[in-house]
Amino acid sequence: MRMRLGDYTASILVTMLSSAFGVLLLQGTSVLTTIISGDDIAQKESVQVALSLVSVIFFAIAVYVGGVVTANTVGTVIAGRTRVIALYRLVGASASSLRRAVAADGLLVGVVGSVLGLAVASILTPVSVSIGVATDAIPSARYDLFPVILAVPVLAVVLVTWLASWVGSRRILEVTPIQAGAAAVEPSREDIASHPVRNAGAFILIGVGVLLLAGGIALGMVNMLGVLVAMLGGILSFTGVVLGAPLFLPAILRSTGRMLGSGPAAKVAAANAVRNPARSTRATIGVVIGVTLVTMFAVASQGYVDMIMKGREAYPADYQGIDETLAVTIGVFAVLFGFSALIAAVGMVNNLSLSVLQRTREIGLLRALGFTRTQIRRMILAESVQMTVAAVGFGLVLGILYGWAGAQSLLGSILGGGFMLPSVPWLVVLGAIVAAAALSTAASIAPSRRATRISPVAALAVE
Amino acid sequence: MKITPTDLGLAARVVHVSKSFGIGQGAVVALSDVSIGIRRGQFTAIMGPSGSGKSTLMHIMAGLDTPTSGEAWLGDTQITALDDTALTRLRRRRIGFVFQSFNLVPTLSARDNILLPFELDGRTPTADEQGWINTLCDTLRITDRLTHRPHELSGGQQQRVAIARALATRPDLVFADEPTGNLDSRTGREVLALLAEACSKFGQSIAMVTHDPVAASYADRVLILADGKVVHELGPSTPEQISGYMLAMDRAS
Ligand SMILES: Nc1ncnc2c1ncn2[C@@H]1O[C@H](COP(=O)(O)OP(=O)(O)OP(=O)(O)O)[C@@H](O)[C@H]1O
Ligand SMILES: [Mg+2]
Repeated sequence: MRMRLGDYTASILVTMLSSAFGVLLLQGTSVLTTIISGDDIAQKESVQVALSLVSVIFFAIAVYVGGVVTANTVGTVIAGRTRVIALYRLVGASASSLRRAVAADGLLVGVVGSVLGLAVASILTPVSVSIGVATDAIPSARYDLFPVILAVPVLAVVLVTWLASWVGSRRILEVTPIQAGAAAVEPSREDIASHPVRNAGAFILIGVGVLLLAGGIALGMVNMLGVLVAMLGGILSFTGVVLGAPLFLPAILRSTGRMLGSGPAAKVAAANAVRNPARSTRATIGVVIGVTLVTMFAVASQGYVDMIMKGREAYPADYQGIDETLAVTIGVFAVLFGFSALIAAVGMVNNLSLSVLQRTREIGLLRALGFTRTQIRRMILAESVQMTVAAVGFGLVLGILYGWAGAQSLLGSILGGGFMLPSVPWLVVLGAIVAAAALSTAASIAPSRRATRISPVAALAVE
Repeated sequence: MKITPTDLGLAARVVHVSKSFGIGQGAVVALSDVSIGIRRGQFTAIMGPSGSGKSTLMHIMAGLDTPTSGEAWLGDTQITALDDTALTRLRRRRIGFVFQSFNLVPTLSARDNILLPFELDGRTPTADEQGWINTLCDTLRITDRLTHRPHELSGGQQQRVAIARALATRPDLVFADEPTGNLDSRTGREVLALLAEACSKFGQSIAMVTHDPVAASYADRVLILADGKVVHELGPSTPEQISGYMLAMDRAS
């Protein structure tokens, strides 16, 4: 079974962004290292190590985000195609062959997106470097822009996309041929609660992840490599959160749902979000990732600046000339988190609109029963507000924790570093919240307009 | 003085209604120049071969779809002239539906599905209405399944929940597209008896699409469609009379 190409536009975009990001990072690191080795500062070597570490981390995070987003998208697409899949099963297709076909599509998406990303970066970097040199923003030097190592991110993105579509397509295994005759249904909260293996997995991942985070921070007090341990902990614990989200998200959604009021649209919306944990999770996780990322990066860069400042106060001599490096690295940081946030945003918008479009039939039924267009839109909006509020709160907590752990484990060992409490640049975080709210609202309103424009009968006839 | 449809005792009617899907070569004429009235307090059956336009006619009468030409009235309201919001409000307050399939909101329990029309109107059922709903659920034998969600119910149970919902608000007119298609014959008979009783006892008007002569025999009146036209009308009839007519029609074509 092949999916429609349209289902993949966003995934290709995400893949392209991840791969372009990886390539740009390596090229950027190479340029920065060249610039810094031209200067003479005491901390040169450790700055270099830190830079390479940072690019590995940022790339890993981007690829990870891209992977989660892709798995999520595949899951959404498949949930919307349950009946078609069931029909294929009914006429004799095996679940595993269907799954392989979806994964094969994923591989194709990975290759196409990754190569496109490489192409974009190959144009972007040389142009920016020449502009930089021409405007004296960076010194003129021999920059190695195309090291062989560029193949690593390109391949990594292909592999991760392939893996993500494999993981995301696991729902196919749960589709039975009988479902061809029935309306496609999402698993209920009870179904999800009774997924003991997955739930145990989620808790183990979170537990191990938190331990690794703590270990990374401890190790970070003596060595920068602590950040790698912490990162692994972050990835594991976040994966656990994504896996376990359908389990605890309904509780959060129920409390945010209360603030929606009591009109019929709000009530149905609140019920929808809570009774459909799998769908809500898929729609929400994008926002969680986005907010977590931005908060994490904001907190981490703030921690980075604070830590360096603290070191400079104690050892002014050793930190001479750090200001320029600081400015450059903060600039780079900004671009870096912009990139990952972009990946998360693309995934979030795509997922939200997909999940609204998939409900065309349900919307047709509600319209037939007497929901006005406005009420339907209000219902979708209420659902999205409810989910966004829950997701933002969740993302904030995770982001602050991860960002602080990142900065602490990377820089705890620098001269005059030590232990610091997290400091949150609230303005940036506030910006992220506003952006997430605006995006998720827009992403659900546009398709709800499309879904309510057609007549109820036509909507009811939609698969 | 102008004679209104209500004066004529009609719950709904269509006048010279035609409906075609698509344009040019591939256009399908689903209805051509149909004029009929559904009488108030009556149980009307609409029969006809597959593809004869029964569902299309029902959708147009219910304001779910617009005709290519002609008018549709619900009581004194010309629904073909209404905008979407007015139509929606009319559906909510004055019309009940039972579709061929996909009747229930998947995220809501059976009870919440039944109460949805009230909810939409921003009110809770009165004691009297609640009593009626309880009677409906008992007769339809779904009382003990009310907390379940649609996918936990059998096709027939889902259909019965939809019937309860359609009748709960006592709308001006209930449209039912093959409401007994999914039911075993005993439950089917009980559902039909309930529909007939709702008409005779409570003055409910019902228009039901069906293929089944037995189902149609519960109706006060049977309209027969073929190729998008009303070709015949029968009064209260036995299943034998109805199938006799259908067979004759089959042979003639
Ligand atoms: N959206 C549509 N686009 C094109 N043709 C349509 C559409 N809906 C219905 N038709 C056509 O209009 C005709 C009447 O369809 P309708 O659904 O009213 O038939 P029906 O009498 O209800 O049949 P059945 O007993 O099989 O349900 C059929 O030929 C059908 O193919
Ligand atoms: Mg039909």
